[in-house]
Amino acid sequence: MKRIWIVGLMLLGVLLVAPQAMAEEPFKIGVVSPVSGNYGDHGALERAGMEMALKDLGGKILGRTVELEVLDSESNPDAAARRARSLIEKDQVKVLVGGVSSSVGMAVGAVAEERKVLYVCTNGNSDELTSAKANHYQFRVGASMAALGRAAATYATNNLGKKWFYLTHDYSWGHSGTRWARDVMEKTGATEVGEVKVPLGTRDFSSQLLQIRNSGAEVLMITCAGFDNVALLKQLAEYKIYDKMKVVYTLMEYVDMYPLDPDERQAYAAVEVSWNENPKMEAASKKFEKMFPDAAAPVMDNGNYNGYIAIMMINEAANKAGSLDDVEKLICAMEGLEITNNLRAQPSYVSPKTHQVLSTVDIVKANPEGKGLNIWDVQKAYHASEYDMTEEENPVDVSCGAQK
Amino acid sequence: MLILSLILNGVVLGLVYTAVALGFSLVLGVSGVINFSHGIIFTFGAYFFWAMYQSIGYLPAMVLAPIFVAGIGYLVERVIIRRVYGQDPLFGLLITLGFAIAMEELIRMIFGPAAHNVDPPSFASGLLIIGDFVYSYYRLFIAGVAILMIGGTWILTEKSNFGAVVKAGMFNSEMVGALGHNLYKLRLYVMVLGSAAAGLAGILAAPIWSVKSGMGNAILMPSFLIVLMGGLGSIPGTLIGGLLVGLSISLGTLVVPRYVDIIPYLLMGVIVYFWPRGLMGQQNIIE
Repeated sequence: MKRIWIVGLMLLGVLLVAPQAMAEEPFKIGVVSPVSGNYGDHGALERAGMEMALKDLGGKILGRTVELEVLDSESNPDAAARRARSLIEKDQVKVLVGGVSSSVGMAVGAVAEERKVLYVCTNGNSDELTSAKANHYQFRVGASMAALGRAAATYATNNLGKKWFYLTHDYSWGHSGTRWARDVMEKTGATEVGEVKVPLGTRDFSSQLLQIRNSGAEVLMITCAGFDNVALLKQLAEYKIYDKMKVVYTLMEYVDMYPLDPDERQAYAAVEVSWNENPKMEAASKKFEKMFPDAAAPVMDNGNYNGYIAIMMINEAANKAGSLDDVEKLICAMEGLEITNNLRAQPSYVSPKTHQVLSTVDIVKANPEGKGLNIWDVQKAYHASEYDMTEEENPVDVSCGAQK
Repeated sequence: MLILSLILNGVVLGLVYTAVALGFSLVLGVSGVINFSHGIIFTFGAYFFWAMYQSIGYLPAMVLAPIFVAGIGYLVERVIIRRVYGQDPLFGLLITLGFAIAMEELIRMIFGPAAHNVDPPSFASGLLIIGDFVYSYYRLFIAGVAILMIGGTWILTEKSNFGAVVKAGMFNSEMVGALGHNLYKLRLYVMVLGSAAAGLAGILAAPIWSVKSGMGNAILMPSFLIVLMGGLGSIPGTLIGGLLVGLSISLGTLVVPRYVDIIPYLLMGVIVYFWPRGLMGQQNIIE
C-alpha cells in the first residue's frame, strides 16, 4: 500500500513538472552565418545584430526563451547547405537565419524550401534571392542590388560622369550590381568603356587598376566586397585612381572602409544604412558599441541592422500569428509586416509577393576630413521601393495567397 | 605602354611570390614536410610589423618583425614539425594546417576581427609616371627587397658550407646525418630562415592588402604551385615558377580576366606533365 502511495506521488510530480519543463524548453533559431572565409567579419556583425535584438526582447519571443544555434557557413554555399540540414535534422530547428553572401543565401534557401522551414536571409543582396531563386519559405532583409545599384548609378549619372568602367566581383551578387548600374547607364545616355570581372579571393588588383587608369573612364563603378574589397580600397589609393576618375560602389560596408587612412577614403557608395542618420540611430549605435566593444566596426553596420531586423521580423510575425512553431502561419504573418522596431529612420516593410524587406538606402561620399567614426557623409537618402525591381521586371509571387 | 606596365607588374608580382615560396620550398626540400603553417607565419610577419612600425619606425620594424617571426618558426619546428619527420608527408600537411587554423583564430582573438591599415613608407609612396607609363614606387621597393631576399638565399645555399649541407640534405638526408652533420639542427635552421623570409614577405604585402587574420591563405596555394613548377628546393626554379605565376596573372587580366586564377594551375599541369620534378627539380628526399 505504501508503495502505491510513493508511485502515485511520483506520477503526480511528473504530471505537475512536465508541462512546465516543456514550456521552458528554449526555441532554437538556427543561424547559418560565416565565422570564417571572405565574409567572416560580416558574419560576426549580423550575429551581433541578432544578439542585440534578442536582448532587446528580453531573450524571449511569445514568452518562450529563444536561443541562437550558430553554425559556420564558411562563406561557402556547399558548407552552408550542410550546416542548414544539420540544424534541421539534429537540432529540429524550424527557423533559419543568416547569410552574408548571396550564393550562401540561395543554398540555404533551397534547403529551407526542401525541408519546409522558414529562412530569413540577412545579408545577401543578389537579385536572384527574390526573383529567379525566390521561394515561399525564404525572406531577404538586405536591400536588393536593383535598389542599391540603381540608386548608386542614378546618383553617378546625374552628378559624377557619363563614361563608366565596371569592376565586378565574378559571382551572382557582383553580376547583380553591375547589371543594374548598366540598366541606368543605358537609359540615361552614359557609355561603357570597359569591364573587368575579378574572381572571389582576389587580393592584388594592380593589373586591373593599370588598365582602368588608362581607360579614359570618368566613373569606376565597383561591385566588390569583403577582404578583397579592403585590399582593393588600399590599391585604389596606391594607384591614385581618384585623381583620374570618380569611384562609385554599388554597395559598401562600413567595416570595409573603416580601416583606411583618411586620405584613402574618397569613394562614393550606396549603403543600406548609415549609423548617424539621426540622433536615435546614433544612440542605438553607441549602445551596440558598448555591447560589442571588440566588433569589427565600432558603429552599427549593414550586417548589424539586418541581423537585428531578422529577429524582430520573427518576433512580430510570431506575435501576429500567435505561434512560433507553425512555419506556414509565421510565413503568412510575415508577409506585409511593417517593422518599426528596426533601429532605422523609417520602418521596414516586407513585400508579400517577393518576400523582400524594403528599407531606406543611402548614397554616401567618403569623407577624408571626417573625424573619428564619421568616415562618410550621407549625400542622398532613398526608400528601396523607389529602385527595387518592378512587378514587370520581377513577376515572381511566392506569397501565401499564391500558394492556394 | 599598358603592356609594359603589365609586364613590369607581372615581374614584380613574380618576385614577391618567389620571396614567399622560398621558405616553403626549402622546408619541403630539406624536411620533406608540406608546411601549411607557412601562410600563418606570413600573417604573423604582417601583424608584428603593424604592431611596431608606428612607434619604432618603418625600417627598424622591418628588421625586428622577421626576427620575431623566426622565433615562431623555431617553436613550430621544435614543437610540431619535428614530430612528423620521416613520416608520410600527409601527416606534416595536416598537423601544420591544424596549427595554422588555430593560430588564425588566436590572432582574431588578440588583435580583433577587423582589418588594420599599414601605410607604405614615405620614401616609397606615390606613382612613377612617364607619359602613359605608370607604376607604383612601393611595388618597385618591394621588388628590390624581394631581389635582395632571393639573392641572399641563393648565395647562402650556393656559396656557403651551410648551403652545401642543405642541398645535400635535400637529396639524401640519411647520408648527411651519417657524415656527422646534425640533421635536426639543419632542419631547424632552414625552418627559422624560411619563416623569417615568409614574415618579411608578409610585411611587404601589408601596405597593399591591409593586415587581417586570414591574409596568409591567399599565398599558400601560389607558393605550392611555384614549388611544383620550379622544382623542390631549387632557388632558380622557384624564381622561374614565381615569375611564370606573376606574369600569367598580370597579362592574363588583359586577355581572360575572369579566368586569371586558373592560368597558373594550367601552367603547372603542363609543366608537371613534361617535367614531373618541376623545371629545375632533381631527385629529392620525398621521392
